[in-house]
Amino acid sequence: MHIPDGFLSTRIAVSLDAISGATILYASRRVRFATSDRLIPVMGVLAAFVFASQMLNFPIIGGTSGHLVGGALLGILLGPMAGFLTMATVLIAQALFLQDGGLLALGANIFNIGAVTAFVGHGTYSLLGGGKGNPKRVTFAGFVAAFLSLIASAACCALQLALSGTIPLQIGLPAMVGYHAVIGMIEGGLTAGILSFLLHVRPDLLNSDIKPKLNILDWAGALILVAIPAAILATAGSSGLPDPLQGLLISNAPPPPSAADAQQLLSSGRFTDYAFRLGIFFLFVCIVYIAARLAPGRRHSP
Amino acid sequence: MRHSFIDRFANLDSPLHALDARTKLLGFAALIVAILLIPQGRDFIFFSYFFFIAIFAGISQIPLGFIVRRALTILPFIILATLAAPWRGIAGLSTLFLRAILCLIVVIVLTNTTRFVELLRGLRGLGCPQVLASNLGFLYRYLFVLTEEFMQMRQARDCRRVGRAPFRKELAIMGSMLGTLLVRSFEHAERMYKAMLSRGYAGEFPVANPHRFSWPDLVFLLAITLFVWTTFFGFPLPRI
Amino acid sequence: MSEYAVRITRLNYTYPDGCKALDGIDLDVRIGERVGIVGPSGAGKSTLLLHLNGVLMGTGLVRIMGLTLEQKNLQQIRRQVGLVFQDPNDQLFCPTVYEDISFGPMNLGIPAQEIPSRVGKSLLDAGLDQSMGSRTSHHLSLGERKRVALASVLAMDPAILAMDEPMSNLDPRNRRHLIELIAGLPATLILATHEMELVVALCQRTVVMDRGKIWADGSTPDLLGNAELMNSHGLEVPLSLKKN
Repeated sequence: MHIPDGFLSTRIAVSLDAISGATILYASRRVRFATSDRLIPVMGVLAAFVFASQMLNFPIIGGTSGHLVGGALLGILLGPMAGFLTMATVLIAQALFLQDGGLLALGANIFNIGAVTAFVGHGTYSLLGGGKGNPKRVTFAGFVAAFLSLIASAACCALQLALSGTIPLQIGLPAMVGYHAVIGMIEGGLTAGILSFLLHVRPDLLNSDIKPKLNILDWAGALILVAIPAAILATAGSSGLPDPLQGLLISNAPPPPSAADAQQLLSSGRFTDYAFRLGIFFLFVCIVYIAARLAPGRRHSP
Repeated sequence: MRHSFIDRFANLDSPLHALDARTKLLGFAALIVAILLIPQGRDFIFFSYFFFIAIFAGISQIPLGFIVRRALTILPFIILATLAAPWRGIAGLSTLFLRAILCLIVVIVLTNTTRFVELLRGLRGLGCPQVLASNLGFLYRYLFVLTEEFMQMRQARDCRRVGRAPFRKELAIMGSMLGTLLVRSFEHAERMYKAMLSRGYAGEFPVANPHRFSWPDLVFLLAITLFVWTTFFGFPLPRI
Repeated sequence: MSEYAVRITRLNYTYPDGCKALDGIDLDVRIGERVGIVGPSGAGKSTLLLHLNGVLMGTGLVRIMGLTLEQKNLQQIRRQVGLVFQDPNDQLFCPTVYEDISFGPMNLGIPAQEIPSRVGKSLLDAGLDQSMGSRTSHHLSLGERKRVALASVLAMDPAILAMDEPMSNLDPRNRRHLIELIAGLPATLILATHEMELVVALCQRTVVMDRGKIWADGSTPDLLGNAELMNSHGLEVPLSLKKN
């Protein structure tokens, strides 16, 4: 899920911007100096591929539609570093041009949908022996890798929202993880399908030599990225949480208002009064806009 | 399919369009940070930001209907967030809504007053790594190519199908269409690499002359700085 | 200074999947000559062209403008050889036409202030309007894209122009224009195609390639008018040379 601006507290958003920024810089250097030039055009075109796939929805049962996220697939095909960079490219393009996800929340979105998916996807796939080339293994490992990548990503997203005080963990986590468990089936199915297709048609792409070789630092980073969501999931259910984490669950909210308070708060009188004022306000905003647009001599430059 | 969502209004002519991309990126990003820092409950400040941005939006000549439509896509998220934490109350809800929608409008104005190529150059100028910039450039270039190929595949498939297949079959077909598209992507990349080599590519992407920083850019940044300062620290300006 | 633009001696190339694409190719092209390389699909024409600027490197000797093709002088050689691919879609990979055309010169280290004039001149040489620079390649028609691809190569001011099926999918009017354009270019021309009429129009000399080997090398009317030769290599005598 792409988080819009305003849903994360400034502290969280900025720290994730820093983390993602640092990872992008690191990955860029690794990719440039550790691999063949051939990777560059491949990353670019695959970024277009993922962007296009995310726009191409196809209907599932009952009017909802699904699409491929692609993080795990890219992690498997290009290795986690290049896969992450490609996903980061897609996310930046989506934020800028589709306004899918906020600008300052980009760091969080790149982390969740780029880093976590690529690393979890690649790691799971390798651990399950997908690299061996056995068709059944490839399909199975691909499915599980893609599925888990979405779950991990959802868990991180829920954690960030909870830490920002927007949506408490006990609601956010089951909701996000539950939703992504369903979406994850589609992601898993599509990824597995694509991988077995590739195995059939262009097996050389699955074990391509343009994938950057991983070093110790990459693995360390990958481990951390996997450990965080795993830890969340492991401790989320239990009530024996350390105190700071307990606080997260209630997310700094004031105690829920009593019935009488709620009655007054949501009374139709106050509501309509507020809505009325908002309406007038927006009317004024439109007038300002039109004035600015039509004022011919009015320039912002001398 | 055209790139209607990219550069749709970027070719209009307005003072905002004429600014350097770097200025706009910095200025609007600063605005977003400011908006995020507005304390809860200070609705008056939010409203003043609305007026400020309305001025920019107006100057930019972007149609109002477009901005409103794009801005309203935030609603589902707001509704979800409210349902998840209903004790937020009217005040909390309105803060969330105003914050989110303000930031969204800022981004809409930013991207619709800057052509994609300019945006890319601006990012490079601000220190964006080369790999990322080249990726964005290729994404832009090949998005159209791949979408067209996909549409052709879908058309070809539609010509040969009757009714709707069961879900699992649909998934499998989608998988192989995406797989084919993926293989074609790799093939594009391979041919593109040969073409790049033939034109002397040796690992570096030389950057063309960036836009020069000039008067209007300064005024723009100054205006934003003054406004943000005023809303946070009030009038008047530092004593001279 | 050698009078030969291209000297190829005993060139062999096998693709990684085992397919032998070039089998003992010997080819010499003088500076200023226009050579057509004809042959059926799969003959190895495209593969041969890719050896001219080192994108592919086989065994044997390749000399371009007197320089032996090897790893250390690839950049110099690529300066001299302008390769135009069959599909302009993959030759144009930058967001705008201007950037595509300036890509080559910038890689060659041409100083920044000279680039705009280079781009302008290339557009002119390719018969395109100066306003083309700010447009995006996917908004152009096929004919325009082919010309932009040509311009992007001409911008490097190469001594040798190698073209792979330049007219494929073009409508008659665009073909005519492109033929006139190419006819007016000063560079040494090596044209790989299976369209006989094109070779008749542009090249005095023809080389027949089939299954990775060169089977005939001589003047265009002699070779292309030889029905037996043409038919045995999956080609046809062009209409203009048919004796009625």
